[in-house]
Amino acid sequence: MKLDPVTLEIMATKVAAVADEMGYTLQRTGRTLYVKETADFGTALVARNGKFFAYPNAIGVSGFVDLDCRTTIDAVGGLDEGDVVITNHAYLSGGLSTHTPDVHVIRPVYIDGRLVCYTWAFLHASDVGGRVPSSISPSNGEIFQEGLLLPPCKLVRRGEPVDEVFRIVSANTRTPEENLGDIKAMLGALAYGERRVREIVAQHGIDAFLACQDDLFEYSRIKAREAFRRVPDGDYDFWDYLDDDLVTPYPRRIRVRLSARSGALVLDFDGTDPQTLSAFNVPTLGRRHPWLTLRLVSLALSLDRTIPINAGILDNVEVRVPEGSLLNPRFPAATGVRHATCIRVYDAVTGALARALPDVMPACNGGVVIPIVFAENDPATGRSNVVVVEPMIGGMGARRGADGVDGRDSSIANLANNPLETIEGSASLRVVNYAVRPDSGGAGEWRGGTGLEITFEVLADEATVLGRGMERFRFQPWGLGGGRPGSAARTLLNAGTPGERELGKIDAVRVRRGDRITVLTPGAGGFGDPYARPPERVAEDVRKGFVSKRAAEEDYGVVLDGDGRVDAAATAARRRQRGAKPLAAVSTGRMREAWDEIFADELVTALNRRLYGQPPGPANHRRNQVFAEVLDGVDLAALPGMPPDERGRRRSRLARLIEDTGA
Amino acid sequence: MSTGETRRQLAYVVGVDVGGTFTDFVLFRPDGGGGFTYYKEPSTPDDPARAVGEGLVATLELAGVPRDAPGVVLHGTTIALNTILQNKGAPVVLITSRGNRDVLEIGRARMPSSFDFTVGKETPVVPRDRVLECGTRIGPDGEPVSEADEREVEALADAVRSAGVSAVAVMLLNSYVHADPERDLVRRLAARLPGVPVVASADVWPEIREYERALVTVLNAQITPLMDGYLGRLGDRLAAAGIRATVFVTASNGGVLGLATARARPIDTILSGPASGVTAAIEIGRAAGVTRLITFDMGGTSADISVVRRGEPELTTQTMVGDLPVILPSVHVISVGAGGGSIVRVDEQGLLKVGPESAGAAPGPAAYGRGGDRPTVTDCYVVNGWIDPESFLGGRMRLDVAAARRALSGVAARLARADLETPEAVAEAALRIATARMATGLLRHLAQKGEDPRTFTLVPFGGAGPTHASFLAEETGIRRILVPRAASTFCALGAVLAPVKRAYAASLGAARRDPASGAAWELLARLEEEAKAWIAGEGRMLTSPAFAYGADMRYAGQAFNVEVRIPDDVRARARADDLYELFHREHERLYGFREERGKVEVITVRLTVAADLVRVPLARIDAAKGPVRPAGTRSVRHGGASRPFAVYRRGDLRAGHRFDGPAIVEQEDTTVVVLPGWGVTVDDFGNLVMERGGQA
Repeated sequence: MKLDPVTLEIMATKVAAVADEMGYTLQRTGRTLYVKETADFGTALVARNGKFFAYPNAIGVSGFVDLDCRTTIDAVGGLDEGDVVITNHAYLSGGLSTHTPDVHVIRPVYIDGRLVCYTWAFLHASDVGGRVPSSISPSNGEIFQEGLLLPPCKLVRRGEPVDEVFRIVSANTRTPEENLGDIKAMLGALAYGERRVREIVAQHGIDAFLACQDDLFEYSRIKAREAFRRVPDGDYDFWDYLDDDLVTPYPRRIRVRLSARSGALVLDFDGTDPQTLSAFNVPTLGRRHPWLTLRLVSLALSLDRTIPINAGILDNVEVRVPEGSLLNPRFPAATGVRHATCIRVYDAVTGALARALPDVMPACNGGVVIPIVFAENDPATGRSNVVVVEPMIGGMGARRGADGVDGRDSSIANLANNPLETIEGSASLRVVNYAVRPDSGGAGEWRGGTGLEITFEVLADEATVLGRGMERFRFQPWGLGGGRPGSAARTLLNAGTPGERELGKIDAVRVRRGDRITVLTPGAGGFGDPYARPPERVAEDVRKGFVSKRAAEEDYGVVLDGDGRVDAAATAARRRQRGAKPLAAVSTGRMREAWDEIFADELVTALNRRLYGQPPGPANHRRNQVFAEVLDGVDLAALPGMPPDERGRRRSRLARLIEDTGA
Repeated sequence: MSTGETRRQLAYVVGVDVGGTFTDFVLFRPDGGGGFTYYKEPSTPDDPARAVGEGLVATLELAGVPRDAPGVVLHGTTIALNTILQNKGAPVVLITSRGNRDVLEIGRARMPSSFDFTVGKETPVVPRDRVLECGTRIGPDGEPVSEADEREVEALADAVRSAGVSAVAVMLLNSYVHADPERDLVRRLAARLPGVPVVASADVWPEIREYERALVTVLNAQITPLMDGYLGRLGDRLAAAGIRATVFVTASNGGVLGLATARARPIDTILSGPASGVTAAIEIGRAAGVTRLITFDMGGTSADISVVRRGEPELTTQTMVGDLPVILPSVHVISVGAGGGSIVRVDEQGLLKVGPESAGAAPGPAAYGRGGDRPTVTDCYVVNGWIDPESFLGGRMRLDVAAARRALSGVAARLARADLETPEAVAEAALRIATARMATGLLRHLAQKGEDPRTFTLVPFGGAGPTHASFLAEETGIRRILVPRAASTFCALGAVLAPVKRAYAASLGAARRDPASGAAWELLARLEEEAKAWIAGEGRMLTSPAFAYGADMRYAGQAFNVEVRIPDDVRARARADDLYELFHREHERLYGFREERGKVEVITVRLTVAADLVRVPLARIDAAKGPVRPAGTRSVRHGGASRPFAVYRRGDLRAGHRFDGPAIVEQEDTTVVVLPGWGVTVDDFGNLVMERGGQA
């Protein structure tokens, strides 16, 4: 390292604080809910190579540390003193922005004529125009439907705001005042960061400030490498699925091979499904990208929480993503709801890591963020009232030595919920139950975290309930080391009444006064053999209501007496009865086992390789044809009940169809 | 204990602060007995009341006050806080509305870390099998939806009995709008559960947000028995010693509470320690004419920092106690893990690190000679001459310089660098790192408020505050430091100077949408009645109470509130338009815009009532008769070289004395560092006013 260990420690402390302070400045002055309440924004200090050397650890979006500003800066021919570049264009920004509402700005810091760093900020704007309010909808097929596209362009030129750009921005949104307010807040945060950088440089000098950036990358690289060395050398495969992509009924697969060589990691996403005609695509441009590497940052910081958060953590990581795939779509694929896909990428990387580090990694999290939206018209005023009831999440996976966390999930977002009292005060509904969902956590020696239930009664004459992010209805969060998968998500209308109806994935449901809507989120996967769980802990779970008495018997082999105490003899007998049983490294549930049996890994990979090169329309058309022919009218729900030889015949049919698919 | 004394009859007022090592006493005699009396008694952690009782007797003797003279004891204790942090509260049953049993399990749904999957969520303060549901349900407008029948209440009472708990907390959804159904349930349960306290959440804190309201209700119930027992024992000790004093307890809001209130609402006292220090700093600043200050309390394990504007403590309703959010208004104090006991070490990559790990009181710094061999910040002070090993704690504790040097040599060996091979060089480097950590902590905090450090005066206290203050000031651009006379008994002093003070809040429910209806004013009037009744019961010696009004408001559809203070004249006129205008103006000040046509909602109204016990004037010191001369000089290593620093004795300083850095001021409980480039003036109250560039 270039600096002495004292100067580096001092400067590291200072630059990390500047990134935080920029975030607080943005939050304090920002205009909209996204900034104030959900903290969907970011700030950082950027090295001259375009990577973040100082990133906040307490404010804003935690996962964007691996973004790259280089393409955006180069696109405008570099930045002069006093310039600010703005962009929200996923493709032309080189994957800096990943959907249109994410507006990014970058400003250079020149001192004595030398470029010393950049300051960066982004925020999720409430609306940038497009087909639907708030600009994102899963059914969008092209990015042109997702609102204004700002290629990297100068918003401020040598200190002078470029009026035309501001006017274009405000002419292309349903909420011009809010957007301009938020953009001004970002400019304020950039200027604040620059002022603080100048103070640091005044104290320590330009050379030390530049050396500190290199040293920080180096320091994090070394520390992360030490953490990653814990991953034994080898190749580890894993795949996971989105239930579907909205425009077809077929699952979408994310496949990853993690290769480790003495602390250097490669994530190869070859075999991942082709890009979709809906908005689930993740525009990485085939580069290393935070949406692909987030779980590795989480691993490094879980193993060593003293690593400074900067791009150096990922210097040991290489990423390969086939072009034309869901994770590297070609322009102009829509990307609005890419976060749904990103949660599954997170799960797939977790699974690959679990194959390498079975005693470290947790089983699969619930893996959903479902904002339940309630929309009603006020009959008096005729105005519509739209309220997010709760952002519903599942539980967290168990790992060796620890049960999963019930009813929480920080996978890619760590959102706060809303007080029920606030919701009931702002919408015509009554929350009848908001609770952990018993028996939903995957059984295991260490139990998976339970999902949640919300049930509410409609108090308006008429209303609409909308759901987004409805995932894990088909494929359960998997368990590890003999642990069982968590329960899948469900939605119900008027549960427990004669009119009870399974709603499935809610897009928009019309409801009337007195109707009750229930949403059940997935439980997380368990870890280890449920029969190895100490009976007292099972009894405690039953006493506390996380596990039912019946599940204690069936899943854990623990028999309780009338007072809820462990019946030791009956328990021992029951556990003996099962006998020794080989423990599955990964338990995915019957639906996925059946699916994987027909749509075998190597076949799907072969199919996808043939489709990547084709234009998205024909590629998806062919894929639909193949899947339809293989399933031949059989509903997916019937697959687990299908005889094994029948599944084998269909697998052969798939192999033949792939032969017929041109590259 | 008597409670009926009037102010005129008081012979003394004494502030008591129980710390980990010492229990501090500061006594004032309103009858003109002159100045303050300070005393320290070693703490008795097994039974803190013992040190309080014995120290009180000693303090009274020292001040020449007879034990049976009528007095006031203002007492700060960390018992309630430690009970929460150590999860040692009494077992409690929580009763919620049906469907809300998991209010504590779900909480606000966030995880403490976004990255680190080895960090779990907080332990629910009531295990799930002790949370019971009932059929009483209130709607968001306060309308009753359903009510638990007799059979159900009987069953709940049975369940409570078999759970064998010491208290019951009841939190029903929407009780903040209309508390009667909740109180009714409490009455019906209490009638069946003799001897078990049953508490309604609306009576503890009737603010919207069911999780936070449940939490304060439960925590209050859990800490009540321990606090009650402690205050009872304390009363017995005082009575046995023949001390005739009324006891008050310091509160998290910077004020004090009467004994009965503190026993019923110990939750109001949990963060009183740091709050009392801020109160003292404010009062000293007020006397010195300073209203914008940053308090800097540096002790053994941390540096606690608070920002004061307009001469008022900044209160927050978002305090975290451990993993738990506490919404009761508390003085906003942030803590940086860098104190005198913070450990200096080298990490695996060769970087020098300071803290957050601390050597604590045992073994403490290497120089304490108690077996600690890891160097700390205090060892750095000692090795480089900032602290005189001979006069530490007034010479009562000899510091071992050789041990400090040895410990730092070990670090130098691990660093293995030519420029850091001596213990002195390492010590200087470590102090710079500690300074950077405190400075960044302060700057982060100020960034959240949009404030510039250069517009504040730094007020240091605590054992190491005055030693480190000028380093922190140089690093952050602060130009002015006010060093009070007493450093280590500052919290006890704060207790003496604190008013009796309590905050009230109530949320509006559906009426919030129509502030013009007058609901906000009615609610405020109700709170005012409650507050008047309460403060009248706090003792006859109080001055007439002052009220401060406020409201949390927002534009309809916003998810965040803006707290607006309501001036007395606006309160008196009680017009909705005035309230709107206050909100528009505050919103514009904070966020740069107002929405004249936007619908305004009043979410919560707030009120604080305060009255003085005894107006304690800060003592002035004698005027200087001629210039002050240093008692000597000592060699201090600073900026890579040793140089002479003039050494003054605090006791020699008189009002009007001036001198320049480089200098050191020695006093019994701390060492004040004056860096080169700083000038010092002693003011009428004996404070050292240090100014950068302000040399004589």
